Amino acid sequence: MANTEQTAADLDTTATSSVTTTEAQRRVHLPGDVHMWVMVLGDLIIFGAYFIMFMIFRAMHPQEFLTSEEHLNINIGVLNTLVMLASSWFIARSVQAARAEDHAQALRLTYLGGLCGVAFIAIKAYEWTTKIAQGYTISSNDFFMYYYMLTGVHVFHVSLGLLILGITVRELRNPRRRRASMVESGATYWHMVDLLWIVIFALLYVMR
Amino acid sequence: MSSTVSTESSPTAGTVDRARPPRAGKRDVWLVFWIVPAFYTAFGVIFFALARVMPPPRPDVTVDQMAHFFHAHALTIKIGFGVLVLIVGGAGVSNGIVVYHMKRMTVGSVMAYAYMGSMSIGALPGCLLVAFSFLTAVYRPSRDPQILELLYDLGLLSYVGSLGCFSTAYFAFAVAILYDKNEIFPKWLAYVNIWQIVTEILTVAVFVSKAGPFAWNGCNSFWLGTAVFCFWLGCVIVFLMKANERESADEPPLD
Repeated sequence: MANTEQTAADLDTTATSSVTTTEAQRRVHLPGDVHMWVMVLGDLIIFGAYFIMFMIFRAMHPQEFLTSEEHLNINIGVLNTLVMLASSWFIARSVQAARAEDHAQALRLTYLGGLCGVAFIAIKAYEWTTKIAQGYTISSNDFFMYYYMLTGVHVFHVSLGLLILGITVRELRNPRRRRASMVESGATYWHMVDLLWIVIFALLYVMR
Repeated sequence: MSSTVSTESSPTAGTVDRARPPRAGKRDVWLVFWIVPAFYTAFGVIFFALARVMPPPRPDVTVDQMAHFFHAHALTIKIGFGVLVLIVGGAGVSNGIVVYHMKRMTVGSVMAYAYMGSMSIGALPGCLLVAFSFLTAVYRPSRDPQILELLYDLGLLSYVGSLGCFSTAYFAFAVAILYDKNEIFPKWLAYVNIWQIVTEILTVAVFVSKAGPFAWNGCNSFWLGTAVFCFWLGCVIVFLMKANERESADEPPLD
């Protein structure tokens, strides 16, 4: 009996220590590589500076910004947001599949994420065309200048993200590669693009 | 890195390395390297203190104010840009050493040539055109103010708005760093190049904006871009130095 108790206690201790080890590993695990995190954090600082400048100019000309904002189609903004969030969801699930070594599924999900990225660019191109046809161009006023520049540089990030997803696909298709860290790096970048869009959407379309 | 390269060049180099002190790279490469900080220091002094192009004078001023700018700074523009025209080859040397280390990468030479070509063309609108526009403006002080306005706009638009060549060069540099397996430069430096491209894109509005954040003297198009450029330049100089230190003096010359 005592022996059994001892064994149970040992098992318990082993279980606890293994849980602790797993937790510790989880705590120290950095998804992707550190270089991609430098990219993401630096890019967020640069965009943060642009956002702050936008807020300053908005505070200087509140009426002009509010009136101009009303000319944007919030439905298209929402559609863009949903497409972006869906793409991030696909990419997050792709990382899970890659970690579980279900590479076929990871590949499918990466393709879906990329397709959403293409759809995002197409929607943005349609929106720009509509705005330009209505006479709201980059030189209309400060708001529209910020609108075209922020969305334009974000579309550049989406395009770069598609290139990075292409590298992820190449990684997943080659049985000799398939490094989880590469898939995680791609996903880290893609989620940054998503996060940036959420803030841009809030600043340009929603804020009153 | 130096031991890896030595081992490749000679099978007994590993034991020899332990006996001798670490080699300090090639002397000619070091000589070229020190031209980089020297040139950019001179570049900064000329553009900030003498020619008054940095920070750029305002685009939203009258023709008379533009003419006054040239009259007030005629002497320093002549001295500054006169010296610049003389030492502008330093830009070629600065790009040359980056190309040299890019050619030591495992990616082959194609990206190095893309970088060299783009940077060479970029030097014309990004550096020389403003110098010649301003030197022409102060050459005959009695010139028609309308022509001075043209030279003022031409100089500053070309200086702040020269974007595409540099973006291509940064892209080539980034791709080369990411593909390189010799680790000549750290991978994150590739992403610093991407930030540079981002700031170049956000400068494109200088051609339509005459005042505010996106004008050629604006916080978005000029100041943030300049801050990121200074960070990029600092990183490139530090990592060129490290790349020099890691290069073994007996590494065979490049093709």
